[in-house]
Amino acid sequence: MTVKGAFCIGMLVLTGSFGFSQNLLEILDEEQDKVPQFTEATFKTTRITFGHSIETRKKGVLELFVSNRFWNTPEERTQSFLSDRMSTRIALEYGFTDRFSMGFGGTTWDGLFDGYAKYKLVQQGLEGKGSPVSITLFQNATYFSEGIANDAIADDFGNRMSYASQLLIARKFSRKFSLQVTPTFIHRGLEFSEEDPQNHFAVGIGGRYKIGNHMSFVSEYYAVANPIESFNTYSPFAVGVNWEIGDLMMQFQLTNALGMAEPAFIAQTRNNFNFRNPNLNFGFNVAYIMHFKRKLKGLKQEKKP
Amino acid sequence: MNILIPILFLVSFCVHAQNTEKIIARLGNVAFFSYTSVENIKAQNNQVLSIIDLSNGEIAVNILMNAFVFEKALMREHFNESYIESDIYPKATFEGTISDFDSSQSEPHTRIVKGTFTMHGVTKTLDIKTKIEKIDGKYILTGTFEAVVKDYDIKIPPLLAGNIAKTISVDFRFEYDPYDS
Repeated sequence: MTVKGAFCIGMLVLTGSFGFSQNLLEILDEEQDKVPQFTEATFKTTRITFGHSIETRKKGVLELFVSNRFWNTPEERTQSFLSDRMSTRIALEYGFTDRFSMGFGGTTWDGLFDGYAKYKLVQQGLEGKGSPVSITLFQNATYFSEGIANDAIADDFGNRMSYASQLLIARKFSRKFSLQVTPTFIHRGLEFSEEDPQNHFAVGIGGRYKIGNHMSFVSEYYAVANPIESFNTYSPFAVGVNWEIGDLMMQFQLTNALGMAEPAFIAQTRNNFNFRNPNLNFGFNVAYIMHFKRKLKGLKQEKKP
Repeated sequence: MNILIPILFLVSFCVHAQNTEKIIARLGNVAFFSYTSVENIKAQNNQVLSIIDLSNGEIAVNILMNAFVFEKALMREHFNESYIESDIYPKATFEGTISDFDSSQSEPHTRIVKGTFTMHGVTKTLDIKTKIEKIDGKYILTGTFEAVVKDYDIKIPPLLAGNIAKTISVDFRFEYDPYDS
């Protein structure tokens, strides 16, 4: 073996061993890839605009959710302060686990009391791993508390109850853009006329586009496959801006949907979306978030060495 | 032939040094604290990865930002989405060297770890005073350092400027096991 030959073999072995050598950070990257990761904050609020989003509140979080709708009557001149009419829904919503939350609320204008349960079934994975979408199950029950005008309808509990079941499917496409599709089934207890279906199928589509670190542009639309026949109903639509600041989340929106419980706004929106009165509602939702379970209670800062 | 011997020696030394002398911490602990008169914020991450090459005292740390647990669940969402922007910058990393590292020393001792810390896309040079202990053959590194929020280009809305401290203090503790690749 010549000296040159031996040197060549030596270099070969050397480069081979250097090829094997890894940067320490690269080793850690490989280690980290073994841990599955999930997307966060597909939406921030539990509603996109009027309809629910896939987000649930985390364990031990109580949310005071106040939604308002303001609109004007068609009269040329009125003397109301700010707006002619308003409706408010006040609700408390609580996260029992990180995936399961419930809420109860009441609306002033249409006398509806509603409750819901929501369970986050699947969380979208990060970087193409895991599920491509997040899925949340949603069930609403709504009680109509006002007087029933039609004498032909029996005033019993079953007639006053309506239900909405939804499958919320959302995907966070990028850090800015999220889209949700919402197949919905609604059962209405009250039968206005015999030609009306009491069970409705609907599908909703909603999205958010972030316009800043704390602000996003949102829009939502629901289409009902078999609407009420005895009077005209229209698809609820909203455009708005959501703004989060610490424990306070605010939603501002323009919408034709007056109702704030699912069976009301999806199946019984009686005005189409335009900028005339009383069709146009200004919506303002505010969620104040309180944490009852504080993690890291025992965590104390080390003294400096 | 006499040139072959040192080369072979060098090769065997390289191969030897690479595999056997690394230790890794997979459940490392990093906590940070922000104290202001308005609000105290603390967060902890106990899945931090760190690796040390005992042959030369090189150390690397990889902190997954969305693995930080906050006192308030909502803070974590805000932290990831609006402040640290963990979808663009998923992790913070540290790469450096333990100065005057001596793997034969078994008594607890303090060393300066010099290196670069990258968070939110910004890289800074840090010197961190670190306590090195060896308990039951396991290396344990603990220490504290401070990070100035402004240095890392993290934007805080004026409304919340009073809630977040200008300087965040960071505690860490890593417990190492032998690493086999």
